[in-house]
Amino acid sequence: MPAIACRNLWQVFGPGADKALTDALSRSGNDADKAASDLRENGFIPAVQDANFEVKEGELFVIMGLSGSGKSTLIRCISQLLPGTGGEIRVDDQNVIGASKKVMTDLRRKKLGMVFQHFGLFPHMTVAENVAYPLRVQGVSKRERLDRAQEVISLVGLDGREDSFPRQLSGGQRQRVGIARSLAVNPDIWFLDEPFSALDPLIRRQLQDEFLRIQATLKKSIVFITHDIQEALKLADRIAIMRDGKIVQIGTPTDIVLRPVDDYVREFSKDVAKGQHAKVASVMQGEADCGPDDPGLTISMTLDAALAHCMELYEPVPVRDADGNVVGTVHPSDLAAALQVDEA
Amino acid sequence: MTAVTDLPTQNRAQLTAGAKAALITVFVGAVCLALEGIAPWLVKWPATWELPATQWVGAFLDWFLNLIKPAMRLFSDLMTYPMDWANYVLGNTPWPILIGIVTALGWYLGGLPMAALGFLGLSFVLASGYWTESMNTLALVAVSVPVALIMGGGIGILANEVPKVKSFVQAVLDVMQTVPTFAYLTPLLLLFGFGPVVGLIASAIYAAPPMARNVMLGLERVEPEIKEAAIMSGGTRFQQLFQVEIPAATTQIMVGVNQCLMAALSMVIIAAVIGGFNDIGWEVLLTMRKAQFGESLMAGLVIVVFAVVIDRMSGTLASERKRYDSRVVWAMLGFAVLFTLAFRNWLPNPSELTLLDPMAEAVDSGLTAFTQANGPWLDALKNNSLFYVLLPLRIGLDQAVLPFTWGFQWTSTMSFGLFAAGAVIALLMAWRGRLTGGLIVLILIGMLETGIANLPWPFVLTSVAALSWVAGGWRLAALCVGLLCTILVSGLWERALLSLYLSGAAVFSCAVAGGLIGLASAVWEPVWKVVRPICDMLQTIPLFVFLIPVLMVFQIGEFSAFLAICAYAIVPMIRYTRHGLVNTPEEMMEAAISSGATEWQIMRDVRAPYAAPTILLGLNQTILYAFAMLVIAALIGTTGLGQSIYLALGQADVGLGISAGAAMAILALIADRIVQGFAEERRAALGL
Repeated sequence: MPAIACRNLWQVFGPGADKALTDALSRSGNDADKAASDLRENGFIPAVQDANFEVKEGELFVIMGLSGSGKSTLIRCISQLLPGTGGEIRVDDQNVIGASKKVMTDLRRKKLGMVFQHFGLFPHMTVAENVAYPLRVQGVSKRERLDRAQEVISLVGLDGREDSFPRQLSGGQRQRVGIARSLAVNPDIWFLDEPFSALDPLIRRQLQDEFLRIQATLKKSIVFITHDIQEALKLADRIAIMRDGKIVQIGTPTDIVLRPVDDYVREFSKDVAKGQHAKVASVMQGEADCGPDDPGLTISMTLDAALAHCMELYEPVPVRDADGNVVGTVHPSDLAAALQVDEA
Repeated sequence: MTAVTDLPTQNRAQLTAGAKAALITVFVGAVCLALEGIAPWLVKWPATWELPATQWVGAFLDWFLNLIKPAMRLFSDLMTYPMDWANYVLGNTPWPILIGIVTALGWYLGGLPMAALGFLGLSFVLASGYWTESMNTLALVAVSVPVALIMGGGIGILANEVPKVKSFVQAVLDVMQTVPTFAYLTPLLLLFGFGPVVGLIASAIYAAPPMARNVMLGLERVEPEIKEAAIMSGGTRFQQLFQVEIPAATTQIMVGVNQCLMAALSMVIIAAVIGGFNDIGWEVLLTMRKAQFGESLMAGLVIVVFAVVIDRMSGTLASERKRYDSRVVWAMLGFAVLFTLAFRNWLPNPSELTLLDPMAEAVDSGLTAFTQANGPWLDALKNNSLFYVLLPLRIGLDQAVLPFTWGFQWTSTMSFGLFAAGAVIALLMAWRGRLTGGLIVLILIGMLETGIANLPWPFVLTSVAALSWVAGGWRLAALCVGLLCTILVSGLWERALLSLYLSGAAVFSCAVAGGLIGLASAVWEPVWKVVRPICDMLQTIPLFVFLIPVLMVFQIGEFSAFLAICAYAIVPMIRYTRHGLVNTPEEMMEAAISSGATEWQIMRDVRAPYAAPTILLGLNQTILYAFAMLVIAALIGTTGLGQSIYLALGQADVGLGISAGAAMAILALIADRIVQGFAEERRAALGL
């Protein structure tokens, strides 16, 4: 069972959007593109069009797109900060579109956590009170909730700042508070809306690394929004790329870099040093005749590393898996070819 | 370059909106002037065409007020309990304890400066001998403010929660802001009869809107992500609102509390007009009527002291503040109690204190000496302004120029010459490509010749329509003309024109003087250092008090009213002008400097255009302030709607009071919308 499943999800803005969407879909015979342009012509804004994807349990799913591509709208649909105009979103196997307030409140209290781009910290509460707030609304006793807050504050490395107010913290520290707060109820599903975009590059990298460390131990199911392809490639298990409200490609980082579906996606990956993201596995072929050399390639090596091992070689070399068994071969020229930057 | 040179030709080929509007206005004005002889109804709306709207309104309101009277009387009976109680507490607490409480409160809110302010302020009140009256006033404020806070807060929260209510509430608040203060009083008088409870309820009604506004604004301005974080934390709506949104909006809400306090104080004092209640406002009014200016100045100062203390102390709530040692608070309170106990048999009765009486007498005699010594000069100032500026504006050159003031009689040849000169100027300006400017010169000359109070009604309607059309399109024009027509047919037209004339003259003077002072403050810091505290002071003083000094020097009359209006209405013009000019983005200044522009060129080409929308908003505020003061100034002699409202209050004539109040509100509303329209247009042009 996937943690989140979106099917034919639409978010349309404008007065009477529900009906307009139904009409547009019936006019176009359920063709999403036609329906979307139909809606636009009638003055509606189809911010999310016919989104379909699943987030597996424990998966880090990144949604990437430029500003205005609908990624923030999409995450707000899933977390039901926006109602969702059409389609289905299954969170924890219940459809949240049209769910009652009470159901949503319960779900948020038990299962969901969210981190915001500009932190969304409560200015009148201390760090500890901020972090403990999701427990406070559930009526957890003060003692208990401050204990739990202390745990997550330690997890994000903010020991000693419990009694500070948000205004006394740096940007990086504030986002640590945001992360701690979203983890206070130990949710299964974790939404992060461009959590590191407002931070300096150096702090951003530091927090990305810590985020990966936290995720390695907690294994949440995550929806992570970003506009930064580097960030997406670094963090994601899978990436969905959005453009003008549509998801144009879903795939692993390697897929996105090596097999972009169209020029838009190619444009993104153009500046990316492919060698650092694609793995040997992506250019490996089946068993074939190998040359005499064995530079010791493994399937999980990046292309850059692999190429460094066989700079002087002109014949196919064997590739091994983690246990040292030969699983395929790779031709050094394929490695070099895969690293060529596309001339677009 | 070609694009730039193309522009003027295009303009000449097809008229700009402004030029079209001005052309139509000139045409209608000319027709009215030409037909003045044959069709007098074109100039003056015939009385037979008037509808007895005032009576209708009166009859309806009488019926309605009688309907709700029992409920309201019950309410007022209920309100007398807390009022009597507050009166009793404030009246019977020994004064050292009250001074101790205020000083301690000052310390708690703002440390030493606030404690000193509280102590000195109340000591002054004590020494003035107006302690009892002040406590009566304070009791009214103490009861009306909580009522206003609860009402205002409730309305603000309701509007925030129910989007459908919001625009309605906003509209009602807008109207309430423009309805003059006195106009509230007449129906309240009918409902509650004479007595302090009218002042109480009036001030609660008057003070609630600023609270509601600020609560709405504060809740609206809470960052969306903070609201979302509260939702995602799993809070119920109630928890979101009271645990997150309202605390996050505290600063703005405290601004509301501050404004609410000031409004309540101001209204409690104004309500003394219907008075007979022994409070400080009544004292001012009484001494003013008896021409005991020293004493009325003293009572006025007591009001100012209260206003300053309340404003500055509550102002600290709205800004980030330190926590002050609470042990000091207890020490101060303890000292006050010990002092009272130790000297309980020797404490002077505050009403009998006359420490400052010599000062009042000195002011009186000094004033007499001053006016006697400078009489000719002051009279000359007053008379010259009246005869050569105000009167021509009001009734036009053709009637104001008389042998006994100007030394000669205005003749039709002179009118002809004036118009000919105007036409020449207009033609010259049109030749230079400034058609609109030329037409406006022609219109202004026409108005000067006729006088604002004698303007033909079709001309007024057309010019307002034209102006509002340029400012905000057809809808605004239709709204403005529609509203003006209600004044026209209700028989309040002439009075409305008189009000328009006086406030127009005041606004114009304020715009020029305030604009210049604002400019000086913007370019030269020391000026601002002097001007700023004066502005702060003028904005804190309750409206009523402005009347005292002008009355002392210039006696009752239109000129005094004019000065009082100017003194009050000039502040926003100064503030906004400076603010707009000072806040030019640094980058734009740097770009201009690196282009080699001189100081003056930067001001003319960069700072002034950038500040234009802000300055227009200042003008807008100045207009609203002028209308607000116009009614108060009726106490010392103005004609027009203000006077009608005041008279209606005296005669308990609800129909007249409400109609005149509504007419006043309409004028203010129209001016507000037109200026806002222009400001909006400028902002859009600058891409702000």
